Amino acid sequence: MAVAESRKTKWVGSRVKRVEDPRYLTGAARYVADIALPRTMHAVFVRSPHAYANIRGIDKSVLGDLADSVKVFTGKDVAHEGEAGSQSPGGGVSPLRGRFGLQGLLRTTQHVIAPKTVRFVGEAVAVVVAENAYVADDAAERLSAGVDYEVLRPVVDIEEAIGDGAPVLTDDLSSNVVFQSKETHGDVDKAFKDAYRTYSARFHHNRYGAAPMEARGVLAQYDPAYGTLTVWSSTQMPHLLRSLIAVHLNFPEPRVRVIAPEVGGGFGLKMACCPEELVTPFLSLKLGRPVRWIEDRRDHLMCASQAKEQLIDIEFAVAEDGELLGAKGVFIGDGGAYSDAAILEPVCAAKALTGPYRLDIYEEEIIQGLSNKPPIAAYRGVGWTASNTVREVLFEEIARDLGIDVLEFRRKNLINSDEFPYTSCTNQVYDSGTYHESLEQVAEAVKYDEFRAEQERLRKEGRYIGIGFSSYVEGTAWGSDASAQSGMPESSHDNSTVTMDPSGKVTVAVSVSSHGQGHETSFAQVAADELGVNVEDVAILHGDTASTPYGLGTYASRSAVIAGATITRAASDVREHLFRVAGKMLEVDPDDLEIGDGRISVVGASDRSKAISEVAYAAYWSHKDREDESLPTSTRFYDPPCTYSNGCIAVLVEVDAETGTVKLERIVAVEDCGTLINPLIVDGQVQGAIAQGVGGAMFEELVYNADGQPLSTTYMDYLVPTATDLPAIEVAHLESPSPLSVGGYKGMGEGGQIAAPAAMVNAVMDALAPFGAKTRDLPLKPDYVLKLINGGAASANGASE
Amino acid sequence: MSGHQVVLNINGSTVEGSVDPRLTLADFIRDQAGLTGTKLGCEHGVCGACTVLVNGEAVRSCLMFAVQASGTEVTTVEGFASNGDLHPLQQAFADKHGLQCGFCTPGMLISSYAFLKENRSPTEDEIRVALSGNICRCTGYQGIVDAVQHAVETDAAAVPLGESSGSPSAHNAKR
Repeated sequence: MAVAESRKTKWVGSRVKRVEDPRYLTGAARYVADIALPRTMHAVFVRSPHAYANIRGIDKSVLGDLADSVKVFTGKDVAHEGEAGSQSPGGGVSPLRGRFGLQGLLRTTQHVIAPKTVRFVGEAVAVVVAENAYVADDAAERLSAGVDYEVLRPVVDIEEAIGDGAPVLTDDLSSNVVFQSKETHGDVDKAFKDAYRTYSARFHHNRYGAAPMEARGVLAQYDPAYGTLTVWSSTQMPHLLRSLIAVHLNFPEPRVRVIAPEVGGGFGLKMACCPEELVTPFLSLKLGRPVRWIEDRRDHLMCASQAKEQLIDIEFAVAEDGELLGAKGVFIGDGGAYSDAAILEPVCAAKALTGPYRLDIYEEEIIQGLSNKPPIAAYRGVGWTASNTVREVLFEEIARDLGIDVLEFRRKNLINSDEFPYTSCTNQVYDSGTYHESLEQVAEAVKYDEFRAEQERLRKEGRYIGIGFSSYVEGTAWGSDASAQSGMPESSHDNSTVTMDPSGKVTVAVSVSSHGQGHETSFAQVAADELGVNVEDVAILHGDTASTPYGLGTYASRSAVIAGATITRAASDVREHLFRVAGKMLEVDPDDLEIGDGRISVVGASDRSKAISEVAYAAYWSHKDREDESLPTSTRFYDPPCTYSNGCIAVLVEVDAETGTVKLERIVAVEDCGTLINPLIVDGQVQGAIAQGVGGAMFEELVYNADGQPLSTTYMDYLVPTATDLPAIEVAHLESPSPLSVGGYKGMGEGGQIAAPAAMVNAVMDALAPFGAKTRDLPLKPDYVLKLINGGAASANGASE
Repeated sequence: MSGHQVVLNINGSTVEGSVDPRLTLADFIRDQAGLTGTKLGCEHGVCGACTVLVNGEAVRSCLMFAVQASGTEVTTVEGFASNGDLHPLQQAFADKHGLQCGFCTPGMLISSYAFLKENRSPTEDEIRVALSGNICRCTGYQGIVDAVQHAVETDAAAVPLGESSGSPSAHNAKR
């Protein structure tokens, strides 16, 4: 409990324009593909055209006249089959076996290049390296024809995959189920027996992906003169990637340096690590030259990690007045071919189902299966998007069936502000929030009652407008606490270093890593307040393991809380240091000093003061006044408490009942992430996350046919929202500071994607309520909407009510 | 790469090269002219990140070959600012938070500029249509649309590229 650590703020809370913008706006920002090193070679992967096959052999003679221009490495050349660390440096890359220690989780073995068996279309079977990218592409294409496959029957449908008699994907396992658990909170049977009504449905949550504008990319440079391996990667987690490269290549960790240069969007996709991030450094080590791999969009949509696919069976028991009595959920994760990060999806979904509601009786079951599709991994709102969607969608169906207004239904069941801290039955500890207030503010903004009157009027004219709501909580500040509360207990580690330089300006090095979030601005605001300087006097270092302290980087809305705390505390140490130096200079007790506006002054006697630059100079150079033991620098560690942001989103639409097309009229969001550091940046995060949520609900789907062939490998097939697909996104803020975190900060960034899909679906279903339409599958493409109009409930696999 | 001589004027400088016929204009700009501000987001003409001006028209440089562009005047994102001072259109993007990760930004600037040259007082809907060929994954387009509207108010398109609005920018590009 440490709110008192925060000081009066001049910068925190202000809409400070981003200090990093000019380099992006002038084209000067350098992403991986923009970095040119002499003698760089270009890598292109040869990828399997089959969803499940054994590799019989690779005939390199098909390279013909290109054979002399390229180097080829197959799985046998790259994959080290033994335990990690048992190979000599350069002796191969050990397989990915998954990092999550969840008890009972079975781990698959994923070779970075398949030596024997491929399990999804796009899995690498070889890599070709050439002097120029065009030649590497030519050679990879030729070599594709030289790979001899024994094609196996794939399992693409998750229900088939986890059922009896399905082909098992890997010899390590006896079935395709890698995790199964069931947990009961309270007397579920009684709740369902006593209920006025019960409702059940099966939802298929679509498989879609982050698709950042910059796809993945790696540049690696082995320097034999120094024995160093420098790796530039479009990653969210440079320090963890460094550790993993050291482990998987058995290369000394101190001689590995990972740099995340500008990263063109991540959204969870670029959490360490993907096979290519290990293969590319290995190639540089083998060839003694810089090697780069820049992913193209086709490869990205074919074999980068994918996200969010689940089958969810959900049941609610309710009283006549709409009070929630109990819930049951079965979360079947379609994890794709390997078990690594995929387990996050159903586990996080199951734990978060109860959301911002008072619902203490709940049975949760998780089944995680494998299938012949690319592995599932993190993408903004992992698991939470799916469970928020099914809950909020079914709630509005229930409310309609009971004849209760959808807002009234929520009012009856939302946790009240005087109930905090509130521990959910799944052990999520909600620290503070505005669950009712955000709903009411959204309802007021959309003029709810007027909308209903207008809706009724238009229906008589044969026009169908609708409004949908979605309330959410968002577990943020992912550290040991948040991961335990989310059902995935893992320990966490992060630091920041704050240094007052001799000039009186401030260097801050952070373990979190920006990929578009504006960290250089937000974090400078925090440091500037603590040290009485201006934002432009603070330089934020991030994304380079050589200049920043160890930590896990940026994901799961953790960075504001972690950097906020570590910077606040380290800056406080530095401030105390400067006070001791200034105390000697001014011949006063350091406790009688204050800092602000570039000066350190005696409290109540502002004429007795020194410029911070003078004190900083003395802290380095004055024999008389400086500290003998240390520099004015401090590194602070923080493993944050979980903080819960919350909010509510409303979407207004009109549906054309003839064509099934949906016109988005308005999106209104009220969010609460505790103490706001920079509302401008928070607005942008909310708007961007909502756009991605709308994409997932309306357009985005990674489609596979029965053979496991991907049918959405271009931006013509995989549709992301464009400027004409979206209306203005109105954002307002509430602020309930966390009582747990330093400064009262909570994380934010995912809420929009967690909540927008349900608001979107609910709006369309509200518009189509006269048709009895019920969504059971996503996205809401026009043909599916037409089916809903014509057939009422179009169910995922015969779901019933 | 070799075979075909090309000569382009890029942002006012002459750039010559001997290129394969299949070399895209985007790769020529990035690899041979060394101007990496132009980004490649899809290389099949959908995302718009690689948009540049060719003789004043917005063009997807991933869909044009360098040999086709020989003899033309090309403007890239590097042609907007003047000695570190942002062009008013760039300043509008900074003022209205029209960017996050920055990867789509060069294409957005080029498309916006070409559009505003044609339509000096567009509606919000017209702005959205004009930018619908440029994908942004971070902003939900709100900040971008706001930035272009702001640029309309300040008549940013009236300021020639390579000139700033006169006032020094709030920050210098640095890292």
